[in-house]
This record gives sequence, C-alpha cells and structure tokens, in this order.
Amino acid sequence: MSTPDDPIGFGESDSSHGETLLEIEGLTKYFAADSGLFAGLNFEPDQFPPVSVGIDQVEAVDDVSFEIKKGETLGLVGESGCGKSTLGRTILRLLDPTDGTIRFKGEDLAELSGEQLRQKRSEIQMIFQDPQSSLDPRMKVGRIIEEPMQAHDMFDDEGREARAKELLEKVGLDPRHYNRYPHAFSGGQRQRINLARALSVDPDFVVCDEPVSALDVSIQAQVMNTMEELQDEFGLTYLFIAHDLSVIRHISDRVAVMYLGHIVELAAKEELFENPQHPYTKALLESIPVPDPRESGARGVLEGEVPSPQDPPSGCRFRTRCPRLIAPEEYDVSDEEWAHTRAFMRAVKRRTFEATSAAELRRKFFDGELPRGEAGEIVDEAIDLLATDRDRDGEGDGTVTEDDWNDAAELLLESFAERSICARKRPAYDLESEYGSETHFAACHLHR
Amino acid sequence: MSSEPLLRVENLKTQFFTESGTVRAVDGISFDVHEGEIVGLVGESGAGKSVASMSLLRLVDDPGEIVGGEISYRGETIFGLEEGPDGELREREEMLSESEMRERIRGREIAVIFQDPMETLNPVFTVGGQLREFIELNRDLPSDEAKAQAIDMLREVGIPDPKERYEEYPHQFSGGMRQRVLIAMALACEPNLIIADEPTTALDVTVEGQILDLVDDLQDRYDTSFIWVTHDMGVVAEICDRVNVMYLGEIVEQAPVDELFYETNHPYTNALLDSMPRPDRTVEELDPIEGVMPEAINPPSGCRFHPRCPDAREVCTRVHPEPLEVDRADGYPHRAACVKHDVFDVGYDESVPLEAGDEAETGVGETGTEANVDSDSPLEEDQASTDGGESER
Ligand SMILES: Nc1ncnc2c1ncn2[C@@H]1O[C@H](COP(=O)(O)OP(=O)(O)OP(=O)(O)O)[C@@H](O)[C@H]1O
Ligand code: SF4
Ligand code: SF4
Ligand SMILES: [Mg+2]
Repeated sequence: MSTPDDPIGFGESDSSHGETLLEIEGLTKYFAADSGLFAGLNFEPDQFPPVSVGIDQVEAVDDVSFEIKKGETLGLVGESGCGKSTLGRTILRLLDPTDGTIRFKGEDLAELSGEQLRQKRSEIQMIFQDPQSSLDPRMKVGRIIEEPMQAHDMFDDEGREARAKELLEKVGLDPRHYNRYPHAFSGGQRQRINLARALSVDPDFVVCDEPVSALDVSIQAQVMNTMEELQDEFGLTYLFIAHDLSVIRHISDRVAVMYLGHIVELAAKEELFENPQHPYTKALLESIPVPDPRESGARGVLEGEVPSPQDPPSGCRFRTRCPRLIAPEEYDVSDEEWAHTRAFMRAVKRRTFEATSAAELRRKFFDGELPRGEAGEIVDEAIDLLATDRDRDGEGDGTVTEDDWNDAAELLLESFAERSICARKRPAYDLESEYGSETHFAACHLHR
Repeated sequence: MSSEPLLRVENLKTQFFTESGTVRAVDGISFDVHEGEIVGLVGESGAGKSVASMSLLRLVDDPGEIVGGEISYRGETIFGLEEGPDGELREREEMLSESEMRERIRGREIAVIFQDPMETLNPVFTVGGQLREFIELNRDLPSDEAKAQAIDMLREVGIPDPKERYEEYPHQFSGGMRQRVLIAMALACEPNLIIADEPTTALDVTVEGQILDLVDDLQDRYDTSFIWVTHDMGVVAEICDRVNVMYLGEIVEQAPVDELFYETNHPYTNALLDSMPRPDRTVEELDPIEGVMPEAINPPSGCRFHPRCPDAREVCTRVHPEPLEVDRADGYPHRAACVKHDVFDVGYDESVPLEAGDEAETGVGETGTEANVDSDSPLEEDQASTDGGESER
C-alpha cells in the first residue's frame, strides 16, 4: 500500500475493479490515401478553403465501439493491415480521431488537447512491438525509464532513480543494470525495459501493440508472465494487440476480432475461441497450425485476399471472401445451388480458370445443373460470355476477350454479391454467450 | 526408410570468423532427407537454422566458412574434406566444383525459398519476366514457351488472373502472393529437394494456411522433398514428417514428428513445448524456459543447454552429449543429445543436481558480451532509431 510520503509507492487507482475504464464509441480514423502530396485532396473552387479531403481515403478504423473494464485485458486480434495499431494509437491520441469518442474515466480524450492531453498521458501508456528500435541506444537504461517521470514532473532525481531501480526489479531485471545501454540486452530484456518505462508514471491503462511478437517462444512466455504479474500487482488494464491467436488466447479476458477496420466479433475469451459466431473468426481459428501432429487443421480455409481499405466492400467488409455469403432474397435457390453460384462468381472475378466450352463450365462449377429460375438465367448468360464455343452471331472465332471476362464478372457481382443483405447493410448483433454471461457481439447477418 | 537418403549431412560445421571471435554457428550436425519427405529444422532465433540451410548449397558468405563434415546428394559430394599428405585438411577431389553446383545442383536439383521474397525478386523487373527468365535459363526453353510455362506456374500456385499479373512488379503483389511466386520459381525446374527457410513466418495465418495447403498439394503431385526451416512448432506439427530440433548450433533431438511431440526425449524440446501458448486450448500457466540462449561465440561447457535446463546435474557441465539413438519409430531413429538417457552411461543418476535457475540468470548482459556491457559509450552501430517510442511495423 502506498502512502503519500512514500515516493516509490505506486498510487492506487481511483476507479475500482470491474468498472468501465475506457469506453470508445463510433471511433473512426481515416487517412488521406497515398502519401503523395496531393493524393486524396480535391480542388473545390466553390468553397473555402478550396481544397478538401476527397473520397480517396483509407478507412483504417471505421465506426468502432467497445469498452474495457478496469483490471481486464482486452485482446485485439486481426491480420496485418486490419487497423489494430491505428486503433491503439487513436485511443492514445497519438493520432487524431476522424470521428467518435474515447471516454476514459468519464472524460472524452477525443476532445482534449494541449496541456490537458499531456497530463492524461501519464495515465495511459503504450509499449510497442519492436524492442530494438523503441529504445534510444544512446541513453542508459536508467534514464530511459526515468524519462516519462521527468516529463510529468514526478519525484526528484533521487526519487526517480529509486523508482527506476525498483521497476527494473519488478520487470525481472537486475537493478544493477541501471547504468547499462540497451545494446547489452536481449530482445526479451529490452521489452522488459519498455515495460518498466511504461509503468514508471503509474498508468492505469497500457496499450500493448504486439509486445511479444518479435520474441522467441521461450522468451515470449517469460515476458507474458511478467506482464500478468504486474497487472495483478498494480491493477493495470491492458489493451493487448496481437496477430497471434495463441498469445491472445493466453493473455486476454475478452477478445475483439478486427477485419479491415471493423470489429467483427467481440466476446469473452473462452466463448470466442470455443463458440465463434463470425465466419472470419472461424476461418482464423481454423487456419492456425496446431502444435499437435495428431490434430490436422483445416488450414487454407479462406480464398482471396483482403481488399484495399481505400475502397472497402459495402455492408459486411468480409463479404468478398466469406464462405457463407448470404444469397440475395430475390432468388429462390437451394443452398447447394447458391454455393455453386458463389464459387463460380468468385472464380470469374479472380480468373482462376481458363475459358472453355459452355458444357465444361457447367460441369466444372455446377455439376452440369444450373440453378433454377432467374438465378440460373443470369449464370447462363455469364457462362455464355466465357464459353469458347458460344454462338457469337457469326462474328469472332470463339476467343474470349478481356471485355467478356469483365462483363461476366460485373454481371455476376451485380446480380448476386451486391444484392445480398451482406452488401446492403452493416451487420451488428448481440448474442447470448454459451460460455459465461457476457454479451457476444457478432457482425454477421447469419444471426439476423 | 529402405532407400538411400536423397541428402545426407554428416557432422557439418560452419563457422564465422569475426573480430570478436569464432562463431560456431553450426557445430557438427547430422541428418538425412529421404525421397518425398518434409524434414523440419526447428529452433529459436540464432540456433543456426539459416546457416545450416545455406551451407547445404554451399552458399555461406564471408566471413563464414564450412569447416568440416560431409554433405552428399544422391551419391555426389557437395562438400567433403580429406587429410592431405602434410596432414592439412583439403577438399576432396570428387567434391562438386562451383560451376557444377551452379549449373547442375542449385535450382535444378535443390532449390531454396528464402524468408524474405524481396531478397530473391528484383523490384525493377516484372514478376513474370523474372520467372520466365529463370525458366529460360534453367530449362533451356525458348522465350515464348518459357512465358507460357511461367503463366502456368503462376496459376498453379494460386495467383489469380496470372496473365495480367505476369506484367506486374513485385511491389504490386502482397506478401503472400510474392511467397507464392517464390514457390513457383522453386518448382519451376522440378527439383528433388526444396529448402524453405521460414517461408511463412512473415505471413498472416490465413495466408500461411493457404501456402501450407499449396505445399501439401504440390508435394503430393511432384513428390518433392522439403527441408522446412521454422521456429513454429505448430507448423512443424502440421507438415513435417521428421524433425530436427536445433539449439545453439547443434541438433539436440531428432525424431519422427509424432514421437517428437508425444515421446519427447530432450529437456529443451520439452521446455519449448511447455512455454508455448496454445491456440486450441486455454493454458492458464505458461512455463517459460529460464534465461536466454547464449551466444554461439562462447557456448557453455558440456551440454550447451545446461544453464537453462531444469534437469541439469553436475555431470552436464562436463560431458558434451552427441545425439544418440534412444528409441526407434517407423524404422527411423529417435535421437537425443541428453545424458539423462541410459545410452550415455556417464553417471547422470549419481550426479548432483544443479541449483535451479542458478546460471539461468546470466543473460545476454553477462555472457559473451560482458566486455562492452559496462563501457560508458553506447554502440555506434546501434543508432538507427532514436524516437524513444513510436516504431512503425
Ligand atoms: N554473417 C555472419 N557473421 C557472423 N555471425 C553470423 C553471420 N550469420 C549468422 N551468424 C551467427 O550464426 C548463428 C546462427 O545464425 P542463424 O541465422 O543460422 O540462426 P537462425 O536459427 O536461422 O535464427 P533465426 O530464427 O533468427 O532466423 C548466430 O549466432 C548468428 O549470430
Ligand atoms: S454478414 Fe454475410 S458476408 Fe458478412 S460474415 Fe456474415 S454471412 Fe459472411
Ligand atoms: S544433458 Fe543435462 S543439461 Fe543437457 S539437456 Fe540433458 S539433463 Fe539437461
Ligand atoms: Mg534464420
């Protein structure tokens, strides 16, 4: 327990365990696309100033909401480029939000600036992925740790040194290392120095951006254990960003899954891993190689690639790759017919096959039988465009041109993909958990 | 395992002669690769995996050098030394010359896939052009046939719209697609063996999954053998048939994959498995390995793992164990370099246990680099980034 005259003591937080510490709502961060000088800017002579940010934006984080309770670890997982780090940095106000609120202990950080913001910064700290480059190689470890305290006018020289040494010990380093330079430490040890530095100003909340990704497994475990001990001791709250689902599963209380700037699923850890309700989460979980040779995973379960955040798909952003994309209501097709149509549409869009005879295309994608009704007619039309043996009103020699491919892809996408509810409406559903009692958020229309 | 191995490595030693001393990066490793199998080389950073794989094709650069051992591929000697008349070691006569390596072996018989695709792909030429040229050179095909081949290969490794993509530059490809191009390149000459150095480590898991599937599929079709270098036990479990676990330049355990996970025989392998968080179940407590791997420049005496080993006894500080057969499975040996096993018979049972964590505390700061640890000037070369916080990925 700390007392006011104990300079090394770690102040107890004012909010108690289980309360909401941070609540973000509608948080959005867009970047101007391309780093080119005028990229993303439009010249608009009718308005002042005549230049505005145009539609060429990277929607890195788009309308994200969640809360973090005091003392918990919220894991944020997603693949590279999905917006995890941008979200973390925006919460810390290292980046200015485009929209939304960041309520920390009841105060909106998005509204703060200047001195007020600077003061808040002592309560929120961040540690980064790369323990190599985040430590100034010319500064001794002691000074590195004391720097934030100095910036916030905490303690006198002696007090700072005492606290730095105590922190070194807390993070599992020898206090005698106080006078060493970072190069004398291994990656894991450097990450511990980062931890000590972040904790020096006695924060309540720490955003950890891939803090163990650069470390070997054995060292990862050491650092994660230390982070957990420190959390218990100081009542820290973590937002833990990582792409590694095993790490996330180990360290988190609740987990948010991010895809292309959206949170697609958020639930208590056990619930998320044992009862995932979003097709993307399921795909992620199925893709991880399990360290057990008797368990052979499903692996490459996702086709295609993440679309550009500059032009994200409407509605559900996962829909261009979703294995469960929902059939548009206007067509009366069976599940199987829809599965065929969906696969054909994507193959045409990605051009994963070569044009061939109509019969061969029918056989290859539809087992010879096209869907009933209007859907079948559209498919037939597309096949006709790509068939080498089609009737071309006497012209041409059966060559399928670039235009034919584009026309076929457009026809299929407009008739099917764009008309799906998945494209027309952004999904957001609160479900009941099977494990535990917390709400389970899933952004997927399968739960409509 | 009736057949002769495709590749046989015996007591391979590769060292780097640096200013601060000799780095014994690979220190006497032996393993085989048979037709059609995927052999894993697994270990933590700095264990010597990459140096070992580069050595197999004699691609080690200055100040590195293969200083001992034998590498033979289908009866041909890739590397081999003999004693000369004056007692000096010299390269054996039947050892393949540099031009034979270049013209016959590399790429055609044994191909490599590097971790970083940008090391192999030239940013100023189109992806297709590079692939075509590679095929043209290595398979003596005319340009247009090579181009058709290249497009086929791109399609085969799952590049969408390969005709269009053929004309694009490496930077227009995502990381996963570039890795596919490298695989296409490696496969182009239908080699018998592909050495893949962490080919999926930099990729997202869904992309990694796609690539692992692709490798499985291609291996089924071409029956190519692989040496798969990785630090990820999940990947090992997923695709390897047999595994070599490396620690500080040595192979400490060698076993068929199931035995490695279920009949683990080396404390290091055990510790690795216990320190890993799992994707498939919640592990409440991780059991980390204490300390860090020491520098290869000044390895610990006796068993190199002894400063971190939970089972270490006094004898471990004196006796240096070579991997010996402790078991057999499916006709393959299960080897472990640990004196705990009876075959070693060096008095482990009677030896006094070392105080746990005793020496483990000594990390980078205390071994090997001690010299500059307390110096008052920071390392010059280390001044790249000084922003004290922000770092972009
Ligand atoms: N050019 C070099 N000069 C000096 N030492 C080197 C050189 N290249 C590698 N080494 C040393 O050889 C040892 C083995 O390195 P290697 O790159 O093979 O490890 P690795 O197992 O591939 O590690 P990682 O998982 O990080 O890729 C290390 O101690 C390394 O520092
Ligand atoms: S909303 Fe539609 S596209 Fe998105 S995840 Fe659900 S089913 Fe798939
Ligand atoms: S030889 Fe001794 S120190 Fe080495 S792994 Fe075996 S028990 Fe551990
Ligand atoms: Mg390597």
